[in-house]
Amino acid sequence: MRDDFGQEVLPGVARRIISLNPATTEMLFAIGAGDRVIGRTTWDSYPDFVRLIPDMGPGLRPNLEVVIAAKPDLVILYASADNRPAADRLRALGISTLAVKNDSIGDLARTLRLLGIVTGDSVRAAIVADSVAATLDRVRAATKGRSRPTAFWYIWDSPLITIGRGSYMSELLEIAGARNLYDDMTVPSPSVTLEDVVRRNPDVVIAGPDGTRNLSTDARWLALPAVRAGRIIVADTALVAKPSVRLGEAAVSLARMLHPGIEL
Amino acid sequence: MIAARAWHWLAAVALLSVVAVAGLVLGVTTIPVMEVADALAGRGDETTATIVRTLRAPRVVLAALVGAALAMSGAALQGVLRNSLAEPYLLGVSGGAAVGAVLAFGMGLQHTGSLAIPAFAGAIFAVVAALLVARAAGRSARGDPRTLLMAGVIIGAFANAVIMVALANSTSDTLRGSLWWMMGSVADASWIGALWLALYISAAALVLLWMAPEIDVLALGEESAAALGSNVELATRRVFLVSALLAAATVAAAGLIGFVGLIVPHIVRAFGVRRHRRLIAGSALVGATLVILADIVARTAMPPAELPLGAVTALIGVPFFLIQLARTR
Repeated sequence: MRDDFGQEVLPGVARRIISLNPATTEMLFAIGAGDRVIGRTTWDSYPDFVRLIPDMGPGLRPNLEVVIAAKPDLVILYASADNRPAADRLRALGISTLAVKNDSIGDLARTLRLLGIVTGDSVRAAIVADSVAATLDRVRAATKGRSRPTAFWYIWDSPLITIGRGSYMSELLEIAGARNLYDDMTVPSPSVTLEDVVRRNPDVVIAGPDGTRNLSTDARWLALPAVRAGRIIVADTALVAKPSVRLGEAAVSLARMLHPGIEL
Repeated sequence: MIAARAWHWLAAVALLSVVAVAGLVLGVTTIPVMEVADALAGRGDETTATIVRTLRAPRVVLAALVGAALAMSGAALQGVLRNSLAEPYLLGVSGGAAVGAVLAFGMGLQHTGSLAIPAFAGAIFAVVAALLVARAAGRSARGDPRTLLMAGVIIGAFANAVIMVALANSTSDTLRGSLWWMMGSVADASWIGALWLALYISAAALVLLWMAPEIDVLALGEESAAALGSNVELATRRVFLVSALLAAATVAAAGLIGFVGLIVPHIVRAFGVRRHRRLIAGSALVGATLVILADIVARTAMPPAELPLGAVTALIGVPFFLIQLARTR
């Protein structure tokens, strides 16, 4: 198998792992390799004790001096263009890298499989992947046949940003029994106008705690019937913020809020 | 007015050396001077050797080259355009380079390191456009350095508009990559890249030093220059082109690092340097020192994250400039 920078993924037992993507850090802990993580990003927050692991910086465009000084045998990076020079240099210095573009729900199983290969425990990785998939299937089955409200996911205020079909959050909405108001847009985080949101008239608005506060204090949002009627769903930002092993949990909580009284 | 003396030159070289060594010593972790020496000689701890030899040293060299090139470019331009606010970026070089880089990013270029070529192409395109715009100006305006300056500013403004349109609805990857590139950085420095840049900059610097006496004449004002037998228009264009080529190479290598080309010549002039051969050489020394210094700040200010070098050069440069200004008064 190859990673998303086209590098051969060599099976092995990585002992000193630096994970420069909060999603892969979560996954490493889930597959029982958490004690081998010796470096994380500034943004990592789950599981709680991940904060005890040394901070290697923001994760993108990593500071190679910090990374090398920690003497890792494997560095896991998000496969974005601005991370490629770092991956190339680390490999040139004899440090293995694994670059994964873990962006969609479909990517999750593959990422877990790759992590299983490099940590030498494919079985455990497969069990975790299967359990997430099973939970998602269960939610999907429970919401099947129910009415599917259209949902506007409020990500950012200025500019107004929502999620498009390209985002795993859009997939998550589908599974939880709703339809993304902007599922016609392919980019993951399209910027839209309030006018267009009003025109499309969503049944519910989903926002994080901060976003909800904006919705209730900014009078412009009263133009939206869903906001006037209080059909606002407050999402746990930390839970839904990354396509990781807690996707099942995220789908369950969204389904419960979208369909009160649903059996799950 | 104080006159530039031999000890000023020695001090400038000494300061550059000290800052360069500091550039090898300071970072996320401080590596003692002796260990740096061991690392350079290939002895001692392997990890330390890697950090010093493949990460820090090329970085310091690249920072020095970029600083020297921008400062020389600025010194020459300020002279030839007879405008102390002239700087390489004002001439559309930065805007053109940024357009090249952003478009390459947007078209899915996978490696930030390979932005050098589209950035350089963009810069050259903008400079040529500025020269053509200036040339299209009426006969009387053509010899006026302000025409060239204005052409550069206009090309730069157009480039900014293109960048905004391109970035407004781009993906977060493109946006982040482009922004970082525009904020400037020498973090991805490699020996091979630094070597190429060194060859290029040395060649351009020699040409600029060779043209320096002509800049001295042009700096007197176009009428005096013409009276002294100089072809003002042609000479101005030539200096403009070489300066722009210098700046374009730095932009391709390290993104946009503002302010160096503007303030360094002023700092050198504050020491009484007036002739352009000395001004350009002095600017190279001070520019190199300033950018290495800024890069040290960029990587030590908030570890383990790094600050954008372009922002740091301005943060350091402005107070430097104000002190010099107060002293000249």
